[in-house]
Amino acid sequence: MSVIEIKNLTKNYGKARGIIDVSLTVEQGEIFGFIGPNGAGKSTTIRTLLGLIYPTSGSARIFGKCCTTNPEVREDVGYLPSEVFYYDGMRVIDLLRYSASFYKKDCTKRINELAEIMDLDLKKRIDDLSFGNKKKVGIVQGLIHEPRLIILDEPTAGLDPLMQQRFFELIASENKKGATVFLSSHILREVQKMCERVALIKDGRIIKLEKMSELQGNNFKRIKVEGQSDLDKTIFDMPGVSKLENGGKTASFLYRGDINNIIRKLAQTELSNLSIDEPDLEEIFMHYYSKDG
Amino acid sequence: MNMYLHELKSMRKSTIMWTCSMIAIALVYLSLYPAIFSDGAHFKDMLAGYPASIRAVLGVTLDSVTTLLGFYSMIIAFVVLCGGIQAMNLGMSMLSKETRERTADFLLVKPVSRAAVVTAKILAGLTVFLITDVVYYAGASVIASIVKQSSYSGGLFFMINLTLFFVQLIFFAIGAVVSVFFDRLRSVLPVSLGTVFGCYIIGALVAAGKDDWARFISPFRYFDYSYIIQNSRYETPYLATGAVIVIVSVVTCYFVYARKDIHAVS
Amino acid sequence: MNMVLRELKASSRALIIWSVSMFLCVLTGTIKFTAYTTATSTGPSINELLKTMPTSIKALFGFASFDMATMAGYLALLFIYVELVAAIHAALLGAGIIAKEESDKTTEYLMTKPVSRAAIVTSKLVAALLNVVVINVVTLVSFLVVIPLYSKGNDISGEVLMLTLSMFVVQLIFLSLGAVLAAWMRHPRTSGSVATGVLFTAYFVARITDMSDKLRFLNVISPFKYFDLGRMVAGNGLNTGIVLLSLALVAAFTALTYVFYQKRDLNI
Repeated sequence: MSVIEIKNLTKNYGKARGIIDVSLTVEQGEIFGFIGPNGAGKSTTIRTLLGLIYPTSGSARIFGKCCTTNPEVREDVGYLPSEVFYYDGMRVIDLLRYSASFYKKDCTKRINELAEIMDLDLKKRIDDLSFGNKKKVGIVQGLIHEPRLIILDEPTAGLDPLMQQRFFELIASENKKGATVFLSSHILREVQKMCERVALIKDGRIIKLEKMSELQGNNFKRIKVEGQSDLDKTIFDMPGVSKLENGGKTASFLYRGDINNIIRKLAQTELSNLSIDEPDLEEIFMHYYSKDG
Repeated sequence: MNMYLHELKSMRKSTIMWTCSMIAIALVYLSLYPAIFSDGAHFKDMLAGYPASIRAVLGVTLDSVTTLLGFYSMIIAFVVLCGGIQAMNLGMSMLSKETRERTADFLLVKPVSRAAVVTAKILAGLTVFLITDVVYYAGASVIASIVKQSSYSGGLFFMINLTLFFVQLIFFAIGAVVSVFFDRLRSVLPVSLGTVFGCYIIGALVAAGKDDWARFISPFRYFDYSYIIQNSRYETPYLATGAVIVIVSVVTCYFVYARKDIHAVS
Repeated sequence: MNMVLRELKASSRALIIWSVSMFLCVLTGTIKFTAYTTATSTGPSINELLKTMPTSIKALFGFASFDMATMAGYLALLFIYVELVAAIHAALLGAGIIAKEESDKTTEYLMTKPVSRAAIVTSKLVAALLNVVVINVVTLVSFLVVIPLYSKGNDISGEVLMLTLSMFVVQLIFLSLGAVLAAWMRHPRTSGSVATGVLFTAYFVARITDMSDKLRFLNVISPFKYFDLGRMVAGNGLNTGIVLLSLALVAAFTALTYVFYQKRDLNI
């Protein structure tokens, strides 16, 4: 049984587009990345999955059950929203205890553990916390019941780099313990570092769903060359070359196709430098988004 | 249970405030009772000359106006107005505050059904104004026993006070059902004040005299105190209307809230 | 100017609802007058009754010295409710318009624009003032339209004008009270509740104070008692001294609104 199973999910907001025909599955123990620009439908998908909004058609299941008809499946789900707002006039510990009271577990030890890891003062009033500190409350709050599925919506916004690192370590260790992670983000570095598989969403549709290794390796090479004299533009005029940036002696481009072809072509020129790298996700991402996919 | 307690806790301060204001109203007015009682005889003679429509508008019952119960049934109108505002506020803010204060993303991803959320909130609201009413009733009883000039029926006194609870129940249910139809209710007070006050003014100005149909418009007029004092019971049609309003509202509330999309923070 | 327009737009729907309610309030109240007058013809004159009625009882009903058989006298009774409605509107508006940025979490948006806090308060108050003027004019026009339909007596436009003028001053008092509360309180969201709490206290005080001479000093805390409705319906106009004192109060509240808002640590 898949942990998350989304089938042909469509949500319309009146005339406005929500998401169209989204299908994806996340398996037990995976860290799944969900990437897309702002407004692509990431949050809509997550909110439907959690049962906060109702689908127009299709289905979204967690552990084989739908959150709206079987709210008890949320027992095993931890959710960190992109923006956190909590009740006025409560201390951090009050909120965490209230949160813990929804689960059939004693979470006291866990609260202290997590608070220590995230460097969170439990006695402070939530109203007085900064945005980043509220976010930490959100993280702890989402993890106190040791959920088997962790859903993160833009989790690192507002956290300083140190905390971001600790946070990802925390998530990684939860994952090692067996938790499945669904990470929605537009920060590709995060996704690249963490995820085994990714889905790319644009304008409400999934445009790519692939293993990270394939997506990254998938024939794409980032090639940078430096010529001894100004480079002849026509050498790059061949199938498989994209994103060409050519300025005098240097050129940089993405290449997809038989590597021998480009090497033979490059060998015809006098080069002073050459580098061939795995492209980072950002470049692939831009590749998918800037063109029509 | 945890949600219920959480709700109760968050309403503690306002409950104390409402209860105190309501007792204060009773205290101020009831303390005038001895003076009014001394004017009793004249007062009674004079009122006999009033036309019926005026008597109805003033809520004065001719026969019993100088008794404690008669006097009390005039002043409880203010208390009921106060309680009505409290109840409507409660009903409206209860469910809408999760979206207004943007805590819905916290509460509604917990392993509880929407129905359980509604139940916890409704029970907490009920408890709040039940506490208010019990404390108020205790306070009013003490004050009444101090200012009384002759003995009065405790049963009728209770029945008069019970109308406070009924009216609150109606406004609470109306408030709850109104709130689920708004996607984002920015502020509760204008709507609840408007509704409750509208009903109060309609009750005071329109629903006077014998035009019984008009009494159905304003819950404040569902309970005619002179009728209660004379017959020791409530008027069934109005009681039934109140019950229907409450049941329909609550059921609608469950139904709509369970199917409602909770949108992301804008 | 852009901020004033923005505020006006934001309050336009509420203003329409309040205006319609106000009109209905005037209409239903005035229709009821017919019931009073026809009822009186069957019994002894209401005035005679009122003369013999103990003051405490009359006060309890809020029509201490009005001649109930005339439209003007009845108007004074009805006007208590009308004034209350207008005051609630003004208090909620004053508190809401100042507290809005913080309760809607738009503080950062507005405060980073190149405008001073004083300018922000000014635009908000100007917009609120316009709202209050609209409600006042709606009330006046409603009365002037509705009364001739039901009253065959003398023309009482003058009295109506006086009453609505006095109501305007009361509206200003509650508007500025709401504003100063919102600027001063730590949690501006609750300022609306506090403002209406003050308002209701003032209303109850008004209903109670003339029951006994000993309590009359309390009138000073109830703007509903600043203007003698009886005096106005008798055609004696407004007491200039009290108008000036009230306006001074409004000015003080307004000034304090600027001061508090200037010093305020805005909640983000």
